[in-house]
Amino acid sequence: MGGLQKKKYERGAATNYITRNKARKKLQLSLADFRRLCILKGVYPHEPRHKKKVNKGSTAPRTFYFIKDIRFLLHEPIVRKFREYKVFVRKLRKAYGKAEWTGVQRLRENKPGYKLDHIVKERYPTFIDALRDVDDALSMCFLFSTFARTGKCHVQTIQLCRRLSVEWMNYVVTSRSLKKVFLSIKGIYYQAEVLGQPITWLIPYQFAHNHPTDVDYRVMATFTELYTTLLGFVNFRLYQSLNLVYPPKLDVKAEADLKADFEEDYAMDSESYLEKLAALSASLARVVSRAEDEDAELDHFPTEGEDPETLEAREKQLRAQDAQKKLFEGLKFFLNREAPREPLAFVLRCFGAEVVDRPNADQQYINRYYIQPQWVFDCINAKLLLPVVDYFPGVTLPPHLSPFVEEKDGDYVPPEKLRLMALQRGERPERRAEDEDDEEEDEDDDEDDDDEEEGEEEEEMDDEELTDEKNLKAMEKQRSQGKALAVKVTAGKAKTENKMRTEQEEKAEEKRLAIMMMKKREKYLYDKIMFGKKRKVREANKLAAKRKAHEDASKADKKKKKAKKQ
Amino acid sequence: MAAARKNKRVAASQPGFLKLNPAIDHSESIIGRRKRVNKNKKKNWNKHSDIQDVEEFLDDVRLQEKATGGLVSEKPDDSLFYVDTCVREQPKNIQQGGVQKKGKRSRPLRIDLILQHDSLIPPPKDVLAYQQPNAKKQRRISKRAGELAAKGVLPRRQKQLLRQKAAAGPKVQTPANNHPERPYYDLWTESSKDTADPWYLEQTMKKLVKRPDKLNEKPSALPAVEVIAPGGSYNPEFFSHQALLLQAHEVEVKRQKEEERLERQLAFKREDTATTETRFQEQVEGLLEEEEEEEEEGPVKEGEVPMKEGEDPAQNSSAKPKAHREKKTERQRKREKAEKEKEQRRRVLQSLTGRRQQLFQLRSIRAELKTREQRTKQRQAQRRARQEAQKTMPRRLGKLKFQAPDLEVQLSDEIPGSLRSLRPEGSILKDRFKSLQKRNLIEPRERAKFKRRHKLKYVEKRAFKAIT
Repeated sequence: MGGLQKKKYERGAATNYITRNKARKKLQLSLADFRRLCILKGVYPHEPRHKKKVNKGSTAPRTFYFIKDIRFLLHEPIVRKFREYKVFVRKLRKAYGKAEWTGVQRLRENKPGYKLDHIVKERYPTFIDALRDVDDALSMCFLFSTFARTGKCHVQTIQLCRRLSVEWMNYVVTSRSLKKVFLSIKGIYYQAEVLGQPITWLIPYQFAHNHPTDVDYRVMATFTELYTTLLGFVNFRLYQSLNLVYPPKLDVKAEADLKADFEEDYAMDSESYLEKLAALSASLARVVSRAEDEDAELDHFPTEGEDPETLEAREKQLRAQDAQKKLFEGLKFFLNREAPREPLAFVLRCFGAEVVDRPNADQQYINRYYIQPQWVFDCINAKLLLPVVDYFPGVTLPPHLSPFVEEKDGDYVPPEKLRLMALQRGERPERRAEDEDDEEEDEDDDEDDDDEEEGEEEEEMDDEELTDEKNLKAMEKQRSQGKALAVKVTAGKAKTENKMRTEQEEKAEEKRLAIMMMKKREKYLYDKIMFGKKRKVREANKLAAKRKAHEDASKADKKKKKAKKQ
Repeated sequence: MAAARKNKRVAASQPGFLKLNPAIDHSESIIGRRKRVNKNKKKNWNKHSDIQDVEEFLDDVRLQEKATGGLVSEKPDDSLFYVDTCVREQPKNIQQGGVQKKGKRSRPLRIDLILQHDSLIPPPKDVLAYQQPNAKKQRRISKRAGELAAKGVLPRRQKQLLRQKAAAGPKVQTPANNHPERPYYDLWTESSKDTADPWYLEQTMKKLVKRPDKLNEKPSALPAVEVIAPGGSYNPEFFSHQALLLQAHEVEVKRQKEEERLERQLAFKREDTATTETRFQEQVEGLLEEEEEEEEEGPVKEGEVPMKEGEDPAQNSSAKPKAHREKKTERQRKREKAEKEKEQRRRVLQSLTGRRQQLFQLRSIRAELKTREQRTKQRQAQRRARQEAQKTMPRRLGKLKFQAPDLEVQLSDEIPGSLRSLRPEGSILKDRFKSLQKRNLIEPRERAKFKRRHKLKYVEKRAFKAIT
């Protein structure tokens, strides 16, 4: 027939991949350095579709890379730096072995270093690309900044992470871009919207955490190295966009206020400054001090071909967003000592509150509300100020719902959420519809109880045997709720209802006709979908019924207990 | 030299010259024996001229110089003589043996005395210590260099060094990447566009090679930070918490089942347990050997015969077809051929009729086609869905499979009433690490186990032995 004999594994998938070890040899790097390089450059292993073909007939599990990626890595200038560093380490070890201290010093002075700036630029060609990938960087930096300086990772890395995370928090506070907070058992999830990008990050609680052994710290440190570089550049750009000075400086006025007499407690000046920044209680200095543009109205340019309805809706949305940004404006919060200061201060400042550290709760003021910290987080998620009654100290708190869940219609929606949604619509729902009378009586009792409990707490404070969380917050301003809302009259509603009903009926009729006109196959599909929906609703109803039963049972239990107490 | 020698000779011939060694004086004895030789050859001069007296004299001069540091005749009297003023005493000490011995011991060693420098002539000066080779040249060069330096002209060598240093650029110590005070700048501002040929820029390392677009794709569709289920709230709503618990429960059940399965497989089989029968047999093992052998022998002998018989037919059958294969006759061949043709014709006819029949089956064929199309479409959709699902799945990237971390869950009685009494669950570091693995950014790995290269040897030390 002619032609050369075709050899196996010399074309196709086998030539597109390269095993890790071969790639390592090609780059002349040790495995650790190779791994580092891959992480920094964003070259990840790939699972081939036909492993046996790629692996030259063997089915042994191996790590494969695209050969083109590895060829790309060959051009990286950092590879040379890695080799230089290897030689440096070897020389240093030799000098140490020979006890040539001058040699050691000379080598240390000429330690080879490298920069990751060009890699960040290469991986994220535009600022928006970088912003999209900042989730990971934030989580990692916040995590590393909480590490103890015990040698698990480099101390300088921890300091840098702390600096960057404080800078980020200050940015979010100044731009008021926080949207959601979720207190989970793992840590605190935050979501902010920066330049239209939703950015989610996770912060651990401020407790000493144990170091898991099955985590590769070297890999994590490498990721952090890249992410600190990325986050630094992103921060710079964000500060620039807000006309702020970078690295952040406190306002001149604020700085004068904060000239505390505990300066000498910190070893370094920079450290004390970082602490002041981390307190988040003062505003930042701007490049151009702004005077009038504080409340400048945005100009509107109605674009053509846009119906006024959507425009109106968007305007409404914008207004709602603005209102949300100023949620806590004008309120003053006194944080108790046991309350987690950093997340609370961050969250409160994000919505324009004034935060005051209170040394101790010696006496109670009548014009202040004393509430638990969950109120703050729930308010933010609900985008409105919730009634404080449910959050008094000693009260069983309403559940803290996740703001990251979006229910589709037909899903089971917990009653707490329903209530919340009603509040958002501006209605004033009854707390529990069935036994309102009961509730009112109970409320009085509850309040009495609370007072008692609080009294106990005050006494126990010194013994540090607090059984219940207590956080003190006072609102100097009386919030407009209660009377203003209670006045609502429902007379006008009757008319609209009729209109709506006719409309609804019409719609239903149309739908019925449409169903009748369906083809057989479409009808079948439609029925199937409807059946699925109905099943969902049924399940949701079941859950709701269960919940009611559970609540009834728990209430009965409570009553019994109360009766016993008395 | 010669002049000096002559001078000395002259001095020696003077009547007032004192000889230090009076023993050497052979002048007269030599005079008598004189030899006649030709004096017209220089060789003979050297050989036969008598220089004994001169030698002696010079020896004496040298001796004088060595011993006294100059000619005795030239020395003043004061240095040669002194007036003895002390009273001479007969040494009594000689009789006392002990003291003598002591003195003997304090005397320096003979070897040291031999090695002592006893000449009074000062050693000759080391000329090289005072002289510099090429001193004149050097002086000239340095003078010229000074003149040039005054004018501000650097020597060529120094100029070259400076040029090299300038070419290498200022030595900038790159600060560590993780320095807490490191500066940042605006990375994404548009830099000035390079007008040069991109290929040239790449080759000269002035521009980095373009990153392939494929590398910017994320290996997984999962988000970087996965938010925990609503049941993971610190103060969860009852049902979402129950849902999370159920999920955790299912994981646990699965794990337990796996464990049970393993246990079942490794369990001791009931058939392997010893019964009284087997135990008895074991005890009797070996005792009943002879009987059994006899028993066994019987059937074996019987069996041998049929075996041989059985083998034979097999051999026959393999041999037979060869032997029995006979040639087909012409008639047989013809018949076979006719049969074959007939069969073929029949088949063609059948297919024709079949096709004709299909005309009447058009409806059912269409239906069949439709169902088939539908099936392929369904499969396509399925495949697409599977591929979509695969995008969020962790891939097999190495020796180990990805293992999902344990679900973070707090039981109903562990739920804290308030934020203060909350005990966080799990570790965020681990969560991040697992997330990286789940998103296929790194391959799952196990910590390398410590492997001992050589076996440990047990040695009993003597000290330890004594104690025990």
